[in-house]
Amino acid sequence: MKVLFYGRLADAIGRDIEIEAGGASSVAELRRRVAASHPDAADALGRSRAVIASAMVGDEHVIAAADQVEFLPPVSGG
Amino acid sequence: MSVVAQLESDVLDPQLELAELTEQARGDGAIVAFIGLARPETTRGDAVDAVVLEHHPTMTRQSLEDIAVACGQRFDVSHVRVVHRYGTIPAGEPIVFAGAASIHRRAAFDAADYLMDRLKTEAVFWKREVGEAGSSWIEPTEADLADRDRWG
Repeated sequence: MKVLFYGRLADAIGRDIEIEAGGASSVAELRRRVAASHPDAADALGRSRAVIASAMVGDEHVIAAADQVEFLPPVSGG
Repeated sequence: MSVVAQLESDVLDPQLELAELTEQARGDGAIVAFIGLARPETTRGDAVDAVVLEHHPTMTRQSLEDIAVACGQRFDVSHVRVVHRYGTIPAGEPIVFAGAASIHRRAAFDAADYLMDRLKTEAVFWKREVGEAGSSWIEPTEADLADRDRWG
């Protein structure tokens, strides 16, 4: 599963990473896994919104194998 | 009522945008246009070479459109025009054009004010200033949020 990051999260983690789809069933679980492997990004990750197919999803959302998850830190505005 | 909401990567020519809005506004009595520029200094006074606005491939354009459409519905305006740049914007260059046309001036003033208060806090961009103090991410200030909250 591809996970994409923006803003300060992309600085800390990279634009995207590959995660084994079987290991993260919910957004909350995925958030925990990414934070565990990138502790310096944990704070920004905790304040970020998860998005699948351009729609925001909650932490309880179950991720399908084909989903691409994006984490959007708080926006700066224009 | 017409709404234009555009995301541009390279060039934003405020005079051209104003000319197009003026052309559309025949029959109206007022146009108010705001032009936002990339500031040459941080709030702490360090020199800024450029502002970098990162965007999302779909949600950024959608956020501009949502704000522009809401503006058109809220105020008695004939035309709303928002054009926003993304990418690396050298200090001093325009970042955003936000304009509105109406029969009477108050609606156009309010509409432009509303557009900018929402764009400054809700438009989907991640912004950093690059200059002598390095690179730093920027988030809306308390004052920006208070300005937006005036509109309920």
